Amino acid sequence: MSTQVEGFVLTSSPHIAAPSSTQRIMFTVVLTLLPAVVMSVFYFGMRVLGLYVLSIAVCLATEVVCKLLRKRSPMSITDGSAFVTAILLVMVLPPAISPIALALGAVISIFLGKEVFGGIGYNIFNPALVGRAFLSAAYPVQITTWTQPNRFFSFLPASVDAQTQATPLAAARFEGVVENIPNLLLGQTGGSIGETGAAFLILGGIALFALKLIRWQNVLAFLGTVFVLTGIFHLIDPETYAGPVFHLFSGGLMLAAFYMITDIVTTPYTPIGNMIFGAGVGLLVVLIRLFGGFSEGVGFAILIMNALTPIINRYTNLKPFGYVAPTEAA
Amino acid sequence: MTLKTFRKGVHPHDHKALTESLPIEAVPIPGTLLIPLSQHLGKPATPVKERGAEVMPGELIGEADGFVSAKVHSPVYGTVKKIVQQPLPAGRMSDYVEITVDREQTAEHVWQPRELDWDMLTRETVTAGIRDAGIVGMGGATFPTHVKFSPPPTAEIDTLVINGVECEPYLTCDHRLMLEHTTHLLDAIRILHRGFAFKKILFGIESNKPDAIEAVTRAAAEVTDAPIEVVPLKVKYPQGAEKMLIYAATGRTVPAGKLPLEVGVIVSNVFTLSALADWFLLGKPLIDRVITVSGNGVQNPRNLRALVGTPFARLVEACGGISDSVVKVLAGGPMMGVALPTMDYSVTKGSSGLLFLTDAEVPAEGNCIKCGRCVDACPMNLMPLTLAAYARANKFLEAKELHLNDCFECGACAYNCPAKIKLVAWIRYAKNYVRVHKL
Repeated sequence: MSTQVEGFVLTSSPHIAAPSSTQRIMFTVVLTLLPAVVMSVFYFGMRVLGLYVLSIAVCLATEVVCKLLRKRSPMSITDGSAFVTAILLVMVLPPAISPIALALGAVISIFLGKEVFGGIGYNIFNPALVGRAFLSAAYPVQITTWTQPNRFFSFLPASVDAQTQATPLAAARFEGVVENIPNLLLGQTGGSIGETGAAFLILGGIALFALKLIRWQNVLAFLGTVFVLTGIFHLIDPETYAGPVFHLFSGGLMLAAFYMITDIVTTPYTPIGNMIFGAGVGLLVVLIRLFGGFSEGVGFAILIMNALTPIINRYTNLKPFGYVAPTEAA
Repeated sequence: MTLKTFRKGVHPHDHKALTESLPIEAVPIPGTLLIPLSQHLGKPATPVKERGAEVMPGELIGEADGFVSAKVHSPVYGTVKKIVQQPLPAGRMSDYVEITVDREQTAEHVWQPRELDWDMLTRETVTAGIRDAGIVGMGGATFPTHVKFSPPPTAEIDTLVINGVECEPYLTCDHRLMLEHTTHLLDAIRILHRGFAFKKILFGIESNKPDAIEAVTRAAAEVTDAPIEVVPLKVKYPQGAEKMLIYAATGRTVPAGKLPLEVGVIVSNVFTLSALADWFLLGKPLIDRVITVSGNGVQNPRNLRALVGTPFARLVEACGGISDSVVKVLAGGPMMGVALPTMDYSVTKGSSGLLFLTDAEVPAEGNCIKCGRCVDACPMNLMPLTLAAYARANKFLEAKELHLNDCFECGACAYNCPAKIKLVAWIRYAKNYVRVHKL
């Protein structure tokens, strides 16, 4: 014990910090994705597990190369964001995607989706969706080829698209056949690797809420907008338009609701901004699904709203506590 | 029962268990006192004692220079050795009066209760007393208290809010004062009430101090000549900030850039009250205070009553020394306190804590991931991430337009930031630039 010590650390206040970090946030997101990831392997086979591994490896390698080219520390890969991107990319692709296509998509996700903007935090668009958008242009056939899942929950009625080899959304849109809800919830339909099985995504979403990693504002605005708009069209013409519950649980909607429109980097940072963002994505999804050239439009809807995020932020700045509007100059 | 509070804020671990149950102990009278003449916001006091002058307890050694300034008194019998220039903990230079203490004579000195004529207490005499006693806001801001209690005649003050929140982690001096000197505090409130005839007197205490809430409530029930109401508050930082406490206790919102008197409120810290009672009941000016010496790096954490001017080294001795693993020394609390380069400072009227931290990891700033946790934390409802980004880009005017100057640097944003961005430091940088360049 002494009474005099020199060389103390000098920093600006505050001198303590909450036990949170970017890394912790990212890996927690990965953990909450696990139920859906595990189920996707059950649905579409061990091949899918290989795809996840490949995607993670390529994403990490791409980030390392980008960082070295930019003369920055490649240790940024430990922040976990490349893991999130890698896993989400696999989840939004069809089960039959070729390893080459996936690897290319992974490179594009990290390089064009994140690193060209300056790395984590600076990207405008959701990296995984940038990769998917690229693949839908580069591999238009692969990206619309669907395989049926293993009948894991055998007590459920047969899926309507078992014969058509389509997704429930395509079946509803182009053939007027509506999938039953339990099949959608438990992933017994065709669809992207990690988008079927809405129930398991909701499970992860609940965990994210409980851990305060996502806000309710954007999720509610998004789901509410989709529900109300598809509901209105269904009421007007039930023959042409499937019901709102079907829309909520089909396609990429649940994955988007909890993991895409809640991506912290590419969405607004105020509650009101988040609401606008969520409602905007909801509106675009409904427009694309009901009137666009594709049966699913979640990915593009999010990318469009990502582009609007900076401007939403600009117009949703908060007013300070006790704010008094400047009075008219005399 | 739902506890009152303000909007937003954060929940740091409070570390108060280290000292909250330890009674206040006096530091042995030091042989030398180093008393800064600038212990308050506003103009420094001017020295009135020459080198070699004999002083006695309570004698004026620094005269207030103008209205927004405060008097400084000698706490001891002794001799003025010299007047030196030294930095204050915050870095600014100040004149210090160095007094060689006559320890024996000082030890014999006792402040005798004096007869207070309650009928002569008016707004003017109370304010004059506060000024004569050299009282400043002892919660940390050190704003001269008599200025607060001199509202313009147009202001209608109807509420007194007592700040017993002590929301900074580690600090427990206010807590101990409320427990050990409850009636003394209430006497101060009664004196103020004589002068100001408040409609309401709200005593805000956070619910992590149930014994203080109980003690004050019980003692307040005995008071018949002042309408004192204890308001238990939900534990949240920075509830002790004036505007936050006013909102929590009264529901009133102080307009941005304005003072509490705009909404008819005066806020006073419990220590400030204690000093006020010392003056009116004992004739003792503000010459000592309680300071919490704590942190994992100090041998025996304590709540110490120390004379103003006591070198920090004497406090360390009184606590059994510090460990070699100390990496950071703080004057004040960990959220708003100042990191010290050495221990060559002394106790001032605003010293609430002296902390020795053994863990001072300084993580590198990461990229902002736009998560908005700073926005969720800011009690002033500002956009810290945007303000910091503007500061980094030298866009000071843009930052000012985003209400930069409403930030009072509580640190909630930086505390919450997962990317460990020094938000407060950036915002402070921008504020300084805006002030210096008069943008």
